[in-house]
Amino acid sequence: MLNSYWTQIRMNLLLTLRNRVALFFSYIFPLIFFFIGGQGGGGGNGLQLLNIVLGLGVLGGGLFGVGMRAIQDREQNILRRFKVAPIGPGEIIVSGLVTALALQLPNVVFMIFLAHRFLGAPWPTQPVSLLLFVSLGLLAFASLGGIIAAIVNSMQEGMLLTQLFYFPLLFLGGITFPITGFPLWLQTVAQFIPSTYFSTGLQPILRGKETLFDNLPSVGALALTALVGTLLAAKLFRWEKEEKLRPAAKLWLVAVLGPFFVLGAWQMQAKSNIAKEKALNRDVARSRTSLVRDARLFLGDGTVIEQGSVLIKDGKIAEIFTGPAPEAKALRADSIEAAGKTLLPGLIDVRVHLSLPGFPISDPAYFQNLDQNFDRELAAYLFSGATAVKSAGDRPDMVLKHQAATASGERLGAELFSGDLKADGVYDPALAGVEARQAVQAGRTDLLERSLVQQIIPREWFAQVRDGLKRQDSQAAVQNPVSIEAARKNLAEAYRAGAMLVAGTDSGYPMAVHGASVHRELQLWVDAGIPASVALRGATYNAARMLHADNRIGLIRKGYEASLLLVDGNPLQEISATERISTVFFKGERVDRSGLFEQK
Amino acid sequence: MEPVIEVTGLHKSYGNFEAVRGIDFEVAEGEIFGLLGPNGAGKTTTVEILEGLRARSQGQVSVLGFDPEISKRFLKDRIGVCLQATNLPDKLRVHEALEWFAAFYSRQADRDKLLQRLQLWEKRGEFYSKLSGGQKQRVALALALVNEPKLVFLDEPTTGLDPQVRLEIHSLIEELRAAKRTILLTTHYIEEAERLCDRVAIIDEGKIVALGSPRELQERVFGQSRIEVVTAQPMPPDLPVFEAVAKHSLSEDSKTLIVHSTQPARTLPGLIKWIDQKGLELEDIHLRRPTLEDVFIELTGKKLRD
Repeated sequence: MLNSYWTQIRMNLLLTLRNRVALFFSYIFPLIFFFIGGQGGGGGNGLQLLNIVLGLGVLGGGLFGVGMRAIQDREQNILRRFKVAPIGPGEIIVSGLVTALALQLPNVVFMIFLAHRFLGAPWPTQPVSLLLFVSLGLLAFASLGGIIAAIVNSMQEGMLLTQLFYFPLLFLGGITFPITGFPLWLQTVAQFIPSTYFSTGLQPILRGKETLFDNLPSVGALALTALVGTLLAAKLFRWEKEEKLRPAAKLWLVAVLGPFFVLGAWQMQAKSNIAKEKALNRDVARSRTSLVRDARLFLGDGTVIEQGSVLIKDGKIAEIFTGPAPEAKALRADSIEAAGKTLLPGLIDVRVHLSLPGFPISDPAYFQNLDQNFDRELAAYLFSGATAVKSAGDRPDMVLKHQAATASGERLGAELFSGDLKADGVYDPALAGVEARQAVQAGRTDLLERSLVQQIIPREWFAQVRDGLKRQDSQAAVQNPVSIEAARKNLAEAYRAGAMLVAGTDSGYPMAVHGASVHRELQLWVDAGIPASVALRGATYNAARMLHADNRIGLIRKGYEASLLLVDGNPLQEISATERISTVFFKGERVDRSGLFEQK
Repeated sequence: MEPVIEVTGLHKSYGNFEAVRGIDFEVAEGEIFGLLGPNGAGKTTTVEILEGLRARSQGQVSVLGFDPEISKRFLKDRIGVCLQATNLPDKLRVHEALEWFAAFYSRQADRDKLLQRLQLWEKRGEFYSKLSGGQKQRVALALALVNEPKLVFLDEPTTGLDPQVRLEIHSLIEELRAAKRTILLTTHYIEEAERLCDRVAIIDEGKIVALGSPRELQERVFGQSRIEVVTAQPMPPDLPVFEAVAKHSLSEDSKTLIVHSTQPARTLPGLIKWIDQKGLELEDIHLRRPTLEDVFIELTGKKLRD
């Protein structure tokens, strides 16, 4: 009995190894993929490529391998010969599945080795979970192929039906490229597709961030499909092409996909898998390697390197080079030419009010949708190069929710801190807020004419400015008489007294626009006589110290988070240069600024 | 001695179509039993029921003492089957094919001896796709013998092979007879059945129309020999009555005369004398016992092959 399985598997392997086409597709084809991928994107991370190649291999090897072989053997009257031997369909199918595993698993190990050796991908830290998960995926796709083989009547029909499954599984399942860019309805459709659960499990396991146990619904669904598929493939098995199948039997295909209908229906409610996909996609973007070349570096603590380069890798600052930049290609990095530009740590605003719009808005409907406003505002900070903010006095539940969404990477927005962090010897003058309140009192709107503000505030809001200024809320927000002159004087005094100056803006009050105000704050400080370098330190290193996060942000230093701001010109000479934003990096990702306000 | 195969009142229907309509026969140990009939007569259906590949609609079947429908796997393990029109993977070597199939069975033949006996020894390392038609058929026979079966089913073992190869296969089957194996052979080649079978059942439209040894069948149907005379000139239509003649027929060109005679030794002299008298030139003369083909045509009114 065992001997019959073993011989069957051995012969299957032998035959596959003698089949040049099959060998090409399972072994050479992925190599070509690796070669092309390795040539193209400099910073294209080896792990990402490995993820794609493994996905392709498992999906293709599973779907085509077992099923097409069975159809071919039936068409050529080979299975007829087996029919008269004391062997059942179960043995043939199980041997086929084991053969597929035996062929693919060494391939998987080989791919991991190649990615490690030639593309700098790390060894997987969860090898057991990885191999088990890959096996499970392979078995699930292979049993799907087995069912297709059982229900079709010819090679052509089999090829057609398999392709009909292959392409949606490949593209909608997010194996080749992330589906987070698709419209939301299509993302929802994708939640009914088995390969979606395979790719959302494979990627974090490959990155060592998750194990099998973190993916139990996916593991369960894949296992169930593999099991039901195998049983059905055995039940519907046909030895000869003359044996016809009842047309209704084709509906059994639906039964195999059953677990995924359940998962999809659940996901229509929960949406957790879509969120996970977004986060995974974020991980990919964050793990790219970039080299910012030949910039002026403002390190955050006040130190300036006139010509330097920063290597960003896996979300962290991997290396700082002084003098002429090394070649990006040698470091497998995307090259970002930054001559004439200045690289700073991402700015930090330690006093913001996310519950308020930062604009004299009159429409009461605006205040109904706090969730959406938080999203917009955190995106506005990132758009402006502020990579961290501290909320003051916002609803704790909202703060926690949005902290979680930005921390997981599901949404792209500035890192959100909260809490009351008063400390002796620390001074945050919030001049931008003072200026804004004075402008509201005076009915002035000139603060809204800055280019950065125009980019952040939606067009339709400007029509409401006049009405907004009359609103009771706006008046209430500025009851206290304020004077920007007095505030400036206080700041200068605090500076002379040696206080630790920290940049907070009071953004959220009308005219104190979220994001744009950080830059205005720095300009007001310099106007008040504070040196640009001190002002910039107040919005970077000092702010990080106040947030007790100076062990990871606020400085350009090896090992720190790669949350950086690249601007045109030299803000040390002309502080308004910080508004001429060239690139924003957030945890290693080059932020697509234009897409920030259109996140789905 | 208990028969190896025992079939009583076997029926098989596919929907409204009755493929087998009440068949009875027995096959004794060491016998080569032939099922002869045209395509679609019900031969393959009958054999597949015996092999455990199909369920029957009605009747009793015992193979090696077991009901093939119940002890399907058990029987498959003990019989050898050589089906028509089967294939093996192209890139499989001959000895690997034998090794592969042997792994399914509990009894093992000596595969080297088998290869030698079937004249495949030289070809044992060859890919299946590189073999000739006759070699492929010998491999199929070898696969039917890997488990040393007492009972072998040969389903049209020479169909589609050229005459030379057919003769080769025939001598192999005769060797099996010498080795005291029981063989159930289906065929639509008359010579094959005549040469190989101890007994033949002629099947037509799902029924056995005659059963016996080839010679018995021939005698039972006609008890006659056939005399064929060919002359250079047309024969006159007013033929005299020859002695012991059952019937006769003249060809269209009147140059070939076929006479069926119960006693050819008495018929012939008169026939030749008459040709002499008429001044005809004798070109050819045959004396032939009736073939199974004749029997078949006589019984069913149709030819075996179209």
